[in-house]
Formats: sequence, structure tokens, C-alpha cells
Amino acid sequence: MDYDDKGSVKDIEGDLQDRLACMGIRKGKTIRMITRQPIKGPVVVEVDGADTSLGLEMAKKILVETDR
Amino acid sequence: MKVLLMGHPNVGKSVVFNRFTGVDVITSNYPGTTVEYSEGSMRAEGEEVTVIDVPGTFSLEPKDKAEEVAVEMLEKEKDAVVISVVDASKIERGLYLTLEIIERGYPVVLALNMWDMAKHKGLNIDVNRLSEILGIPVVPTTAVSGEGINKLASVLKSARPVEVETISGRAGGRA
Amino acid sequence: MSLTVDERWDLIDRISRETVTVGEYKETLTDVIGEITIKPMTGIPVVIASLYLFWSIFGSFAGFFTDGFFVKFFDQYWLPWWQLHFPDTWEWLYYIVVGDPLADNCLEAFGMLTSGLFVAIGVVLPAIFIFYLMLTLLEDVGYLPRLAVLIDTILHKIGLHGYAIVPTILSLGCNVPGVAATRILETRKERFVMMTLLAIFVPCGAQLGIMQQVIPETMGLVLLYLVIGYFVTGFVLSRIIPGKSPEILMDVPPYQKPLLRNVALKIWMRMREFFTSAIPFVLLGVLMVNVLYLAGFIQWLSSTLSPLFVYWFGVPEATVGPLIAAFLRKDLAVAQLSVIEMTWYQMVTAVVLVSIYFPCLATFIMLLREGWTELLGSLAVLIVVVTVYGGFVHLVGILAGVA
Repeated sequence: MDYDDKGSVKDIEGDLQDRLACMGIRKGKTIRMITRQPIKGPVVVEVDGADTSLGLEMAKKILVETDR
Repeated sequence: MKVLLMGHPNVGKSVVFNRFTGVDVITSNYPGTTVEYSEGSMRAEGEEVTVIDVPGTFSLEPKDKAEEVAVEMLEKEKDAVVISVVDASKIERGLYLTLEIIERGYPVVLALNMWDMAKHKGLNIDVNRLSEILGIPVVPTTAVSGEGINKLASVLKSARPVEVETISGRAGGRA
Repeated sequence: MSLTVDERWDLIDRISRETVTVGEYKETLTDVIGEITIKPMTGIPVVIASLYLFWSIFGSFAGFFTDGFFVKFFDQYWLPWWQLHFPDTWEWLYYIVVGDPLADNCLEAFGMLTSGLFVAIGVVLPAIFIFYLMLTLLEDVGYLPRLAVLIDTILHKIGLHGYAIVPTILSLGCNVPGVAATRILETRKERFVMMTLLAIFVPCGAQLGIMQQVIPETMGLVLLYLVIGYFVTGFVLSRIIPGKSPEILMDVPPYQKPLLRNVALKIWMRMREFFTSAIPFVLLGVLMVNVLYLAGFIQWLSSTLSPLFVYWFGVPEATVGPLIAAFLRKDLAVAQLSVIEMTWYQMVTAVVLVSIYFPCLATFIMLLREGWTELLGSLAVLIVVVTVYGGFVHLVGILAGVA
């Protein structure tokens, strides 16, 4: 997923699903990438108007279908 | 009567606590300001009520020490009334924790805090319908300005445990 | 009965469909600023600018009150009055309460009511007041989580994640709430690394204030040594301590306008804390050091430890006295160092030593509350670090030809 892209969450791998769900990130939600820090830094995404920061490894496990 | 203030980090539990008890605990705008619980007391409807400000937690499966404190508190206070403080603009994930607490058999009052912010964001919540479905009192609050706090205190007594099946039954059509 | 995770979400979807309607959302100025300060291209310059601003306000505000008012008041009126009026029936009592009868300033006199009050009220009070005012604003506006995101990558190198910046910054005010804040870190490893680094390398507001006053020119170098030590030690610890260092997962709250009432209340609470616990400790520290001097204990300890201090750390043996005071209050220890005759580089080394050596009593108790193993582990690391790092600072001095 790229910078400033918008899309909907298709799938989240494994046990991460539960933890992210509690933060409001779950299947079917629209997600927008706000920033991505350099050198494997964390990303910041927006879901339902709330910003969440998560590590890159976690972010990789979220499968997003981007809107074009 | 004992009241536990529970909810996600940074939803304003400590602000509600300060409003209720007049005891001052540190509040800030970052998640995790409160790492230990604080206790205070207030009078609600002529009765002495002990209020406990619990550290924020995302769910009842703790992932750090502050969250452990929160869950331990809940398990220790078997007959407490829980005020589930929710950020109104993030109501869905707030409901998740609220349901978890309801399922454990606690009488719950739902405080839709940061109501002003949610309204500002264009969010509209049908409070009466929500209260009807959940079968618990639901109060919109803006703790920083004190709005809804008295109302919140006055409904504490009417909180009853609810069966989650009943909620599910009232919630209407399958997804 | 309880639901499964999926059933619960399903129920929530059904509930919210019936009760929640989302209106048109307009992006506000706050959101725009929020994004600017979290994107690396614009956010990092903002961090540097805020640090600089923080620092200059801290320095000039504290300096304005301390130099402009308190120094004059204490040195010209307070000290002479006590030197003149305190009964000298018992020499030892005079020594403890007023200190040196010939001293012409409140740092040299070193009595409870002269130096003790001067350090606590004249120097530290303005410094921590302005520090807490700025910290409170940062907290209430909601800047800290953004700072955490920006600094995450760097802190990962030392086995922590961005959120560790919160305990670090709180520690710059006072290490006690800093240590308490480590509880928001997920794993035991993270908490241990963080606590140890806080206890060793993060100077508190009181100490920053007194450094600003007595070594304004070389303070930057002291801080540089502490920052380097923080990262090097963190880097080593993160590799030898077993355990996981999870990734950051955190809400970034929107910016909010701080409420005057809340800011005032928080500052009041923190200042009350200072009056009730810090000031008595400063006075107690002066008392203890003076008694130990009178008993000859410090002189004995100084000569015993002399080889370590003179040859290994490269500082005069007289610095042992301040290190004793550092047990109770680090600000007091730095004040005491300032009147010892030594070169500027020895002073830098000595101040670094005071900072990294034993945490003050209050922090010590806080560490103990987090558990025995944690405390003992931190102390073991501390002893190694003080010895090695202290020697390193000396070595740098020798190589640079200033020690």
C-alpha cells in the first residue's frame, strides 16, 4: 500500500486480527495511509476518522484493496 | 456502592473522575496517562459512592502492565457498577469493550464522552435507540466542560446486568 | 455467556447500523496541522524547532528569575543576615544551619538555610516551574504521540519503540513519574531497559535547572555525553537482555486546545509535590552532608576512594562529598560540585558522574516498587556503566588534551 492511498481492508493475518480490531482496524473498513516514516519506520493510518500508528511489520500483514 | 471507570486509553476517564470526586488526578492528551488506579468518593442521589479511576485498556486481554491493573481491578470488584467511557467518535471499538464487560455480568452505564467532538465530526448517534438495544443507560457527556456528568451520576442506580442474547435479539437483522 | 470475537463485532455492526449515522466530515485546520507534524519531511524540522524553542525558553525564563532576582536576594540579604544573626554558641550547629561564616555567596556557604534554600527555591523552583508549564502544554495539546511516531525508528535500535519517548520526557521533569510511565510498555524487557536508562542517563528538571545556573557554558557537553550514553547503553542492553521488543501500535489522538483550568491544576499539583517532597529532601541532604563532614566520614571516604577518582575518572577526590549528597538530591550535588576547585573538563566529568551514578532516593524507591529483580538488575548495569563510562569520559578528555 502506498502513500496517501485509500482502500478497504481485505484481510489481516493471524492473531494480529484481534489486536487491530480493538483499535478499530478490521475487515471491510476504509483505511487511508497518512504517512510512512523512512528507514522501515512505522506507518500512520486513518480509519473512521481516527489516526493509529503501527509498526511496518504489522502493517505488512494488512491486506488492502486500494481504490483507484 | 462502587463504581469503576473503564474504557480505552485517552477517552477521558480521568477527567470524568475529577469531575465526579473533586479529587485531582493528572490528565493529558496522550494514551496511557493513568497507569495506576485512583480512588475517590462522591454523593449520588444521597448515597455515598466510591469511584475508581482505572487505567485505560483496549480489551479484557491485557497487553501491558497498566492494562493488567485494569483487568485485575474489574475482577476484584465483583459487585461494582462499571461506567464504560467511550470516545463517541470511535463508538464501535468502544462498544467492543463495553460488550465484553456486559458479558461478564457487570451492570454497565455507557458514557459517550467527547460528545462535542463527535458532533463536530458530523457523527450522529441515536442515544435512545442505543440504550434500548443495549438495555443499559446511555449518557452523552463532554467531561472537559462538565456536560452530562450529573446525568451520568444520576443513572448509576438504574444500571442492571444484561444478557448478551437479549441485546443480540433486539439488535435487528443479521449483518 | 460470552460471544466469540467475530460474533461480538457482528453484533456491533448491527447495533451501529441502527444507531449511528455519519455526516459529511470537513477537514479542519487541526487535522492539517496534525498531519504536517507527523509526516517526516515536515515533522522532523518541527521536532528540532520545538526542542530549540523549549530549550531557549527554559534557559531564559529560569535565568531571568534566578540571576535577576534570587541570586541578588540570597547573596546580598539572606546570607549576610543569617551569618550575622544566627547564634554561634555551638560552632557545629552554625556550620550545619548557616555554613561558612566567611562565604560571600549562597553556593559556597553550604548551610541548610543558606545553600539549601537557595538551591531549592532560588534555582530549582523557577526552572521546574517553566519546565512543567511547557511539558503540560505539550501533553495536553497531544504532541507526545506524534513525537513517538517520528522517533520510533531510532528507538527501535535500542530495543524500545517510539512510545518510550513518553517516559523519557516525563523523566526530564522528574524520574519518579517517568519510571511509573514505563508500565505502558508491553514487555518486561522493554520496561527493564527503559527504567535502567531513565535511572542512569536522564537528568531531572531540578538537575537541569542547577546545571543551567552553575555550568551554563559546558552544560551542552554534559548533555551530549548523557545522550550518547543513553543510546550506547540501550543498544548494548537490547542485545543482551532476553525478551521481545514489539512494534509500536498506538492511537494518535487529534490535537486539542489545552484547557486553562487543567493546565493550571496540573502545574499546581506538580509544584505542590515539589514543595512537600523535594524541598525537605534538599534540606535533609545538606544536613546529612554537613554531619558526615563534621564526623570526618566524607574525608575518610574521599581519601579511600581517591585512586579511583583521581586516576580512573580524572576528577579531584573532593568530588566524593557531592556524590554522597547525590543519593538524596542531584541538584544539591551539582551545586556542591560548583564550588570545588577544578578545571572545566573535570567539572564536566564530575557532573556526568553525578548524573549517571545512583538515582536519587525517590527514584530508587520507585524502582523497588517495580520489583526486586528489576532493581538489582538496574543497579548491576549502573555500576558497570558508571565505571566504564566514567573512564571513557576521562579517556576522551585525555585524547582531546583537556583532562
